[in-house]
Amino acid sequence: MTPAATPHAIVVDAVSVERNGVRVLESVTTTVDAHRVAVIGANGSGKSTFARLLNGLITPSSGSVRVAGLDPARQARKVRELVAFLFTNPESQIIMPTVAEDVAFSLRGSGLPREEVSRRVIGILSDYGLDGLADRSAHELSGGQKQLLALCSGLVREPQILVADEPTTLLDAANTRRVSDALVALPQRLVVVTHDLVLAARCDTALLFDRGRLIAQGDPAEVVARYEREFC
Amino acid sequence: MVGALSLYAPGTSPLHRLPASTKLLGLLIGGLVVTVPRPDALLLGIAAAGVVALYLVARLGLAELGRQIWGVRWIIAVVLVGQLIFLPWHVAALTSTRMLLAILLAALVTLTTRASDILEAIERGLAPLRRFGLRTERIALVLGMAIRAVPIVIDLASEVRDAQRARGVGGSITAMVVLLLVGALRHADDVADALAARGMDDDEEPVMLEGSVRPRGASRLRLRR
Repeated sequence: MTPAATPHAIVVDAVSVERNGVRVLESVTTTVDAHRVAVIGANGSGKSTFARLLNGLITPSSGSVRVAGLDPARQARKVRELVAFLFTNPESQIIMPTVAEDVAFSLRGSGLPREEVSRRVIGILSDYGLDGLADRSAHELSGGQKQLLALCSGLVREPQILVADEPTTLLDAANTRRVSDALVALPQRLVVVTHDLVLAARCDTALLFDRGRLIAQGDPAEVVARYEREFC
Repeated sequence: MVGALSLYAPGTSPLHRLPASTKLLGLLIGGLVVTVPRPDALLLGIAAAGVVALYLVARLGLAELGRQIWGVRWIIAVVLVGQLIFLPWHVAALTSTRMLLAILLAALVTLTTRASDILEAIERGLAPLRRFGLRTERIALVLGMAIRAVPIVIDLASEVRDAQRARGVGGSITAMVVLLLVGALRHADDVADALAARGMDDDEEPVMLEGSVRPRGASRLRLRR
């Protein structure tokens, strides 16, 4: 039975995902309704697969996913207007040569006038301290700046949800802090897959995955404590 | 100062302010003028003076001009040596010079024009071909991604070379090419996911994992990887 949820919740009902004959997610059922949600677990536990279900990058082999009432398997385009995705490696998600051009790329086809696109691009870059780098080659940025640029490129479309898949894994301590601070301060709902237990503890709720199964959900302090006790 | 891999040098010069389409048309005409007529020292001298003047008008300076020439020195050297085998030295020198001038003109356009403006101009220029089913926005997107991919592939090659050296197996061209190809394909996969996540894919339906169940009502699906 589908768990009860608010209209904008993420509802995952008995979802299994199979790849190359291997079950990478096994009958996962949950309702994600908190503002900031951490997804933790060991490598290969199914965290990233779970995250990718939320904007239709992966579809379930069985079961169903609903994001704000939409089915990512059949309404991928609409879901992606609501759900931005931040990947682990910013290098592969920056599409255009310069900082401002990459952010503006997200608004291609939006029908917005050129002036409005410029206003939004400058606004979001300014929010994350990248406005001075607008005309710089994206390749010249530091790792932290690249991840913030990727974040800007996702947020400029004004999504309701941001799904981030290990966004700080490739960053040093200072940049990890910078990106983490930016993520937890977002007004959007955040679902962050992470090995950074400090970041997980700053969320409102946490999900713990083990071998494709969701084995715990609730207060981040308790879920992180269980993870450390059983898996570290 | 323009970084080693920068394509655009921000500025407010008259050349920066010219529309991208005008500059591309100018590049086409300039390229034809220096490459089509028979090699002629006087014509190429005038063209060279024109190129120098344009770099100064663009406020890029002679240092940037020198950096551009230094950047293509090996290409010009290979062309020059190749021609010296078959042609008199002065013809080979003139032919190489006009190739250099054409490259410098192209670099001038990219240094004074944002990539997005160039892509928009190309998209507009190709617009009449839409009636024949050509998706011009796709061509512009692919060109933009190709520009972006250049430094990434260079970095990838550098990583592969360093990894080979670290393991004491440097020098294997085959291993280098294979690893570079694998890395490039992996990057392409990641970029495809990133494009989909940013809503830039065609399909209403998402990409599919092998073995995934076809969603009911889905009209067309493609296997992923």
